[in-house]
Amino acid sequence: MKKLVLLVLAVFTVLTINTAVGAKTMTVALDADPVSLDIHVQLSGGMLQLSHWCFDPLVRWTKEMTFEPRLATKWERINEYRMRFYLRQGVKFHSGNTFTAKDVKWTFDRMRKSVDYKGLVEPFVGVAIIDDYTVDIVTAKPYALLLNMATYFFAMDSQFYSGQDDNGQPKDAIVKIGPSFALNNASGTGPFVVKSREQGIRMVMERFKDYWDTASPGNVETFILTPIKEDATRVAALLSGDVDFISPVPPQDFKRIESDAKVKLVTCNGGRIITLQLNQERRPEFKDVRVRQAMVYAINNQGIVDKIMKGTATVAGQQGPEGYAGYKENLVPRYDLEKAKKLMKEAGLEKGFECTMIAPNNRYVNDEKIAEAAVQMLAKINIKVNLKTMPKAQYWDEFDAKAADIQMIGWHSDTEDSGNFTEFLAMCPNAETGYGQYNSGNYCNKKIDELTLAAQSETDLAKRAKILQEIEQILYDDAAFIPFHWQNHSYAGKENIEIEPVINSMNFPYFGDIVVK
Amino acid sequence: MFAFIVRRITQALFVMLIISMIGFAIKNKIGDPVRDLVGERVTPAEREQLRDKLGLNDPFFTQYSRFLKNALQGDLGHSFFYKKPALSVIVAKAPATIELVLGAAFIIILVSLPLGVYTALRPRSFFSRMVMGFSTLGVSIPVFLTAIMLIYIFGVQLNWLPSYGRGETVDIFGNGWWQSGFLTRDGLLHLILPCFALASIMLPLFIRLIRSEMMEVLETEYIKYAWAKGLNPMRIWLVHAFKNTLLPVVTVFGVQIGIMFAFTILTETVFQWQGMGYMFLEAVERSDISLLIAYLIVVGSVFVIVNTVVDIIYGFINPTVRIAGRT
Amino acid sequence: MKNHMTRFRESYFFYSFKRDKVAMASFFILLIFLLMSASAPLISPYDPYDSHNIDIMNSEMPPSWYDEGSPEFLLGTDNMGRDLLSTMIYGLRISVLIGIGAVLLQAFIGILVGLTAGYVGGKVDAVLMRVADIQFSFPYLMVAIFISAIFQILFGIGSYEKMAVPLLIVIIGLAEWPVYARTIRASVMGEKNKEYVEAARVIGLSRPVIMIRHVLPNTLTSVMVISTIQVANAVMSEAALSFLGLGMPVTMPSLGSLIKSGFEYIFSGSWWITIFPGLFLILFVLVINLLGDWLRDVLNPKLYKG
Repeated sequence: MKKLVLLVLAVFTVLTINTAVGAKTMTVALDADPVSLDIHVQLSGGMLQLSHWCFDPLVRWTKEMTFEPRLATKWERINEYRMRFYLRQGVKFHSGNTFTAKDVKWTFDRMRKSVDYKGLVEPFVGVAIIDDYTVDIVTAKPYALLLNMATYFFAMDSQFYSGQDDNGQPKDAIVKIGPSFALNNASGTGPFVVKSREQGIRMVMERFKDYWDTASPGNVETFILTPIKEDATRVAALLSGDVDFISPVPPQDFKRIESDAKVKLVTCNGGRIITLQLNQERRPEFKDVRVRQAMVYAINNQGIVDKIMKGTATVAGQQGPEGYAGYKENLVPRYDLEKAKKLMKEAGLEKGFECTMIAPNNRYVNDEKIAEAAVQMLAKINIKVNLKTMPKAQYWDEFDAKAADIQMIGWHSDTEDSGNFTEFLAMCPNAETGYGQYNSGNYCNKKIDELTLAAQSETDLAKRAKILQEIEQILYDDAAFIPFHWQNHSYAGKENIEIEPVINSMNFPYFGDIVVK
Repeated sequence: MFAFIVRRITQALFVMLIISMIGFAIKNKIGDPVRDLVGERVTPAEREQLRDKLGLNDPFFTQYSRFLKNALQGDLGHSFFYKKPALSVIVAKAPATIELVLGAAFIIILVSLPLGVYTALRPRSFFSRMVMGFSTLGVSIPVFLTAIMLIYIFGVQLNWLPSYGRGETVDIFGNGWWQSGFLTRDGLLHLILPCFALASIMLPLFIRLIRSEMMEVLETEYIKYAWAKGLNPMRIWLVHAFKNTLLPVVTVFGVQIGIMFAFTILTETVFQWQGMGYMFLEAVERSDISLLIAYLIVVGSVFVIVNTVVDIIYGFINPTVRIAGRT
Repeated sequence: MKNHMTRFRESYFFYSFKRDKVAMASFFILLIFLLMSASAPLISPYDPYDSHNIDIMNSEMPPSWYDEGSPEFLLGTDNMGRDLLSTMIYGLRISVLIGIGAVLLQAFIGILVGLTAGYVGGKVDAVLMRVADIQFSFPYLMVAIFISAIFQILFGIGSYEKMAVPLLIVIIGLAEWPVYARTIRASVMGEKNKEYVEAARVIGLSRPVIMIRHVLPNTLTSVMVISTIQVANAVMSEAALSFLGLGMPVTMPSLGSLIKSGFEYIFSGSWWITIFPGLFLILFVLVINLLGDWLRDVLNPKLYKG
């Protein structure tokens, strides 16, 4: 009887939700639109957002950084190398095909072929099909972050992508430039089906009527995505009512949006650290730890967060934010101009020196302004910095060439784990292993390398956290880089859109679940 | 005439050759397109492979001659970002720019003709002085500032007009060639602000041009003769004088329309208008080199064509001007 | 000297100047602008390029007559905490420098090309004028990108701050010289068949001498008229380039870059970052244009029909 009551209640709520809120259209303006419908053609924030709208992963992150079952209903560790996933049954692709274990394997094999995903799936040996709805994911070494990686497994419709297209090209080809089947056609299990797409202008998606997740409260029937690159124009579009939802919101406009009763602003902590790297090979002064420390002490990163980021960033003293395994509470920001001057004096450089710096101007939130502020702050300890800012396409070229003494880099750990920061930003650069790929400062400390590698294969999470914290401590004492802050994600929408429930620190708004009243 | 056209075409081809060569010479200096194509995690070795595959690592002359060979067959290369032939990207973006320029031209004609004629006829009146004062003010305001102010006042404060993009468009020919904003109410509303912003730079120039041409014509002998004959003033002004004013105005208008295409870059940036100018700036930011070079060639040829046509028309209308090719 | 002064005072030029209130007012405003830019280090309250004076905590302060404003910053501060008034004065200095520099370069190239083309004629004329056409058909943004790329190779990234002003002079100078070349060529074509040139040729003067000593002075009025308008155009071009992010570096803002950074703040209520530099720029360009108009009317009513 109790069960029956519950069932009736459940049916009732579902019905009322469906009747109370009718078919809705939501127009969203982002700073860029997805470059392709092929989710494996580029590993970037924008493409992952698309993946969550039109596809579904095995598991996904929740707001609280726990794992939520999606195409996998449950999972269990078989042994150190193997994890078993039980797949959801009765799931349909947009094409009408049924989702099974072979789609998971097929997708994994395709990720292997993608230039972008190749590195990400390197720890894996492969996917073993146990039966139609059970797979094992196998790693080469014990791997602590297997579930984190399962959030990247978006099932693609293997049948839909098999065969050849009109040009005689295999339908599953991953083509960076030029036409491909997957560029313009997509079939996933996700909440939205792509109806039309004009690159750079608009993309229209409609709710998938056979979507498996009937418990989802989402009620957006038509989802229109349009890119507006210019910050001010994007805000204007929301304020004038042309669009319903925008992201990112430039910090300088927070006050304006909050003061307008028709729209609201929602921000959310993010894990992207913004730093400056000091090139010790180009600039001998940077070899001196006192100089590096002086520079860290000279940067008023609280001031930057308050004034430039308008309070929507978290001041940083280390690489990983709170909640990450390596986070160490005592590693606080250390702005102290007097101390900075003293350190410069100790280093015999109170008269200072001149150096160069580059920063992007369209990659991170207010990147150009942060760089400009840093130049002024460093001038106070007599370090005269010549700054050049440029668009990101040109910036990375110069960054790789280590063209300037100080270079800006922001990093978001794609495993949502501390180790990833060190692997890319602080380990000794090594072209063969790929470690330290974004360490343009050439900071190199053997101890850091050893500890990072040890953390990779440590499956005891407590021990692992200890190692990661030790790394943060060493980098802090060494002043290996200048930390600014972790930038927040920002969203704004009309009053009737319930934004909070669908956002998370990865910046993957789950629009499938969004409710428009 | 034929010799003239042939000569112009050869000259144009030569110009294109130089433009494309300059474009190629700097292409490695404005960034690496591969960087924009891949995620940040992709290793340098992988990127190098991709560059190899795209032929970006070949020596200058290999790349350039390959480009020329393809260009002769009408293929100006592939846009890295749009993953389509560069020419078709430009063709797809052209209608937006053309409609913007046409809209602005419409405003210019509508406003400058009556104002220009009036100020010529009544140069000392208070209204004429006002018009001339405002036109001087008009040329002194940068177009991006006008655009920002228009958005701020009409888009955000008053909420009367949309502030960005083209709005709803209609596919005129049914094959995706021409997405037009002229046929829907929404599309027309979206056109208003950008067209006014774009018109604001050229409008003062045309008021002055029409005024000075008209004044010059009014000084001529045959107008004096017409007065002496005792003709109706309206007839003298509108039929005799105005008709003769139009010729130089039309010529300048033709050339200025060409120049206006260059000005659309600023207007399109502020309004996020998805036309050729916006595309050009985006291509610069993304280092989409093939698209950049194709754009330069297309814009260059439009300029040459407009100039040639204007010269020919001018030659037909006014026999005293000899076409350079005949001498 | 005195003789010159009286001659000038009695001239038609000075007479019409005295009668035209607009021209007089424009001239004095322009004079004030020029004095301000020349003496920027002396009169501006702060040195906006010296980072010691700038504190991020002072950013976005409204003008001093507002409650949140501070008497230290008369017109408020920009997004970096620079005193807006000082930054505008220094920005004006950059605009003046670039405007005049670019016009000198344009005039130099344009006059050289125009004289040669007009006087020599024939093949040389055709080639030179075609070059001018190519230059004109190239959007000046492309010129900017192209020259910036070359500068970057030559001088490296670090010296961009020091090279920015000469760089912009070269860019704007190269983009607009055909304006001069065409006008000069047209007037030379008109002059060269006149009797005094014939006479000079008959005495046996060489071509360059005739061109520079005899033909050129007769084209100078048109050069003067174009030059005023071209200075205004150059200032606008610099503002446009800076607005697109291709101009002055962020640490040395010009009026255009101030307007651009203000554009980002226009909805946040910090209107002064855009409006003050915007008005400053408009007023500066306006007085130059008004003077240009007046000059054209006085010197050569039929010359420039734009």
